[in-house]
Amino acid sequence: MHTTDRLSLNVNFIARFSAFLFFILIVGVSSLRAQEISEDAEVIAQGEQLFKANCTACHRINERLIGPALRDVHTRREIDWILNFVKNPQKMINSGDEIANALFEEYQVVMTAFPFSDDQILSVVSYIKAESDKPIEVAVATTTAGDGTVVEHGMPQTYINVIMVGLIVVLVILLIVLFLIINVLARFLKEKELDEDEREVVEQRLNLKALVRSNAFLGFAAFFFTAVVLKTVIDGLFTVGVQTGYAPTQPIAFSHQIHAGQYQIDCNYCHTGVRKSKSANIPSVNICMNCHSAIKNIPWTTNPSPEIAKIYQAVETNTPIEWVRVHNLPDLAYFNHSQHVEVGGIECQTCHGPVEEMDVISQYANLTMGWCINCHRETNLNTRGNAYYDKLVQLHSEVSKEPMKVEDNGGLECARCHY
Amino acid sequence: MDKLKRTISRFLLSLSAFAFVAYGLSSCAAKGDYTGTEYAPQMYHSVPYEGLSQIQDKEAGNFITSIDGPGEFYTSNPNNPNEMNMRAPVPNTVPRNKNGYTPYRLATEDLETAAGNINPLPTDNPQIIVDGKLLFDRFCEHCHGPKGLGDGLVADKYPGVANLTGLAYQDITEGHIFHVITMGKGLMGAHGSQLSPEERWKIARYINEVIQK
Repeated sequence: MHTTDRLSLNVNFIARFSAFLFFILIVGVSSLRAQEISEDAEVIAQGEQLFKANCTACHRINERLIGPALRDVHTRREIDWILNFVKNPQKMINSGDEIANALFEEYQVVMTAFPFSDDQILSVVSYIKAESDKPIEVAVATTTAGDGTVVEHGMPQTYINVIMVGLIVVLVILLIVLFLIINVLARFLKEKELDEDEREVVEQRLNLKALVRSNAFLGFAAFFFTAVVLKTVIDGLFTVGVQTGYAPTQPIAFSHQIHAGQYQIDCNYCHTGVRKSKSANIPSVNICMNCHSAIKNIPWTTNPSPEIAKIYQAVETNTPIEWVRVHNLPDLAYFNHSQHVEVGGIECQTCHGPVEEMDVISQYANLTMGWCINCHRETNLNTRGNAYYDKLVQLHSEVSKEPMKVEDNGGLECARCHY
Repeated sequence: MDKLKRTISRFLLSLSAFAFVAYGLSSCAAKGDYTGTEYAPQMYHSVPYEGLSQIQDKEAGNFITSIDGPGEFYTSNPNNPNEMNMRAPVPNTVPRNKNGYTPYRLATEDLETAAGNINPLPTDNPQIIVDGKLLFDRFCEHCHGPKGLGDGLVADKYPGVANLTGLAYQDITEGHIFHVITMGKGLMGAHGSQLSPEERWKIARYINEVIQK
C-alpha cells in the first residue's frame, strides 16, 4: 500500500511539474514573441483600433500635431523605451532620460500616461510600422476643397445676376425692334388707299391716347399712385426709432456663421450669462482663447488671420475689445434674459433670428412694445409640474377654455417691464 | 369734364411731393453702421453706467445738454482702467453663492490632490445626470463629441482633444474631472469662469457615470 501510494504521488508530482515547465515554456516563448513587432494582420488591426481610440488626439503617423509624427518610431527608439514612456512619461522625464527631456523641451507638453499592457503597446507599434511602410500621401485635397466650397458659394449668385441683366437687355432690344416695325408698317399703310374698317385699325394709336386721357384710366392711376405713396410713407414712419437691420462693423470680424453654424458651438458656451442674469453677456477674451490659443489661421489656409491676431493683441496689452452693441432697449423698459431663456424656455433664435447663418450680426426683431406684447399674448405658460401654478390654472380654466397664456399671469401689466 | 381732369392731375402733382417725403423717410431705416433715425434720442442712450454699452465720445449728445461738462450721451467712467464701466472685484474677494462653495484654491498642477476631492452633490438624485448631460452638450460636446470620443466638430480644427472613454481616462475620479474643467489641462483651457462649481460637479458626475460607462 505504502509503496504504491508513494509511486502514484511521485507520478502525480512529475506530471504536475512537467505541466508547470510546459506552461513556463509557453509563457516564455509568447512573451519573447510579444517583445517583437508583429506583422500579423490581427495584431495590426488591434493596434489600429487602440491607436485611433487613444492616440489620434495628439499624434498622426505622418504629420506633427501636439506630439511628434510617429512614422518609423520603431526605428528611432528602443522598444523598451517606448514601453516605459507610454506607461509613464512624467517618470521618464523626472528620471533624467535625455530623449524624454528633449521631447518635453520641444513640445512643451507632457504626454498623458496610458495604462496599456506591453502587448497593447506593441500592437500599436506594429500598426505604426505597417503604416510607416506605406508611401506618404500628399495632402493637398483639403485646401482645394476649402477653396472649392468658397467658390461654390459665390458663383450661382453672380450667374443669376448676369442672366437677369442679359434677359432685360434682350427684352429691351425686342421692344425697340417691335416699335420700329410698327412705325414702318403704319407709314406704309398710310400711303395706301384703305376702306373705313382698315383705317380704324391703322389709326388705333390715336385711340390709345384717348384711353390714357380717359377718366377711368386717370382715376385708376391716381388711386394706384396714392396707395403706393401712402404705403411707403407709413412704412417709412414705422422705421423711425426702430433699429431692425442695424448691423454695425465690429472691431473684430467675428462670424457667428462659422462658430455657431459650421462648428455648432452652443450659444451658452460664450454667452454664459444668458441663463443666469439679465444680460446674455459678451464673452471675455479668455473664452476666445479656449480655442484660439491653438487656432490662429484663416480658415483653410496656413496664413495667420489678422482678425484672430486682434485677440492676441488684446491679451498682450490687457485692453478690452470694444464690441458695438446691436440690440438696445431703452432704459424705460426692463428685460431679463434668464427669465425668458431659462424659465420660459425660449430659443435664442426666436428673438435674435438665424444667428447661426449670420456672418455679420444684424438686429432681427424690431424690439417694439407691440412686438413684446404680441408674444406675451400668444405664448402658453408652461405650468406642468409646478405646484405654484395649480390654483391659478384652476381659476383660469373656470373662465376660459384657452390654455393659460403669459398675459393671464400678468404679462401685460405695465409695471412688469416699466418701473 | 376738363375741370375734373385738371383736379386729378393737380392731385397727382401734389402726391408726387408726398412721394419725395416717402423717399426721404426710407433713409430713416437702420442699415449697416447706421442705427436709423432716433426719435427722442435720450431714450436710446442710458444715463446710468451700463456694463455692455458705453460711449467714449465726450461730445456725443451735447446738442441736448443744458449743463457744462461732457455731452448727454457720454457714459464712460474715466476713473476706471480703459474708461470701462465694469471693474474687476477687489483681489481676494470671496463670491457668495447659495450652496456655500468656497473659492477653489488648488493650482493647475495640483491634479493629484484634486483627484481626491469628493463630489458634494447627492448620489441618489437622477436629475443631476439629466442636468449634467444638458451642460455637457452645451459646454463640452463641440470638442469632445456627443459621446465623449473626442470627435466633436471643433476637434477637427483643434487637435489634441481627449477621447474621454480612452484607456488613460478610465480610472479618473470626479474630483479629477472637476479640476480639469476648472483649471484646464494640457491644451484644454480653463472653463472655471464659464460654469459655476455646482455645474462643474454635475458635468463631472455625468462624464464619470454615463460617458465612461
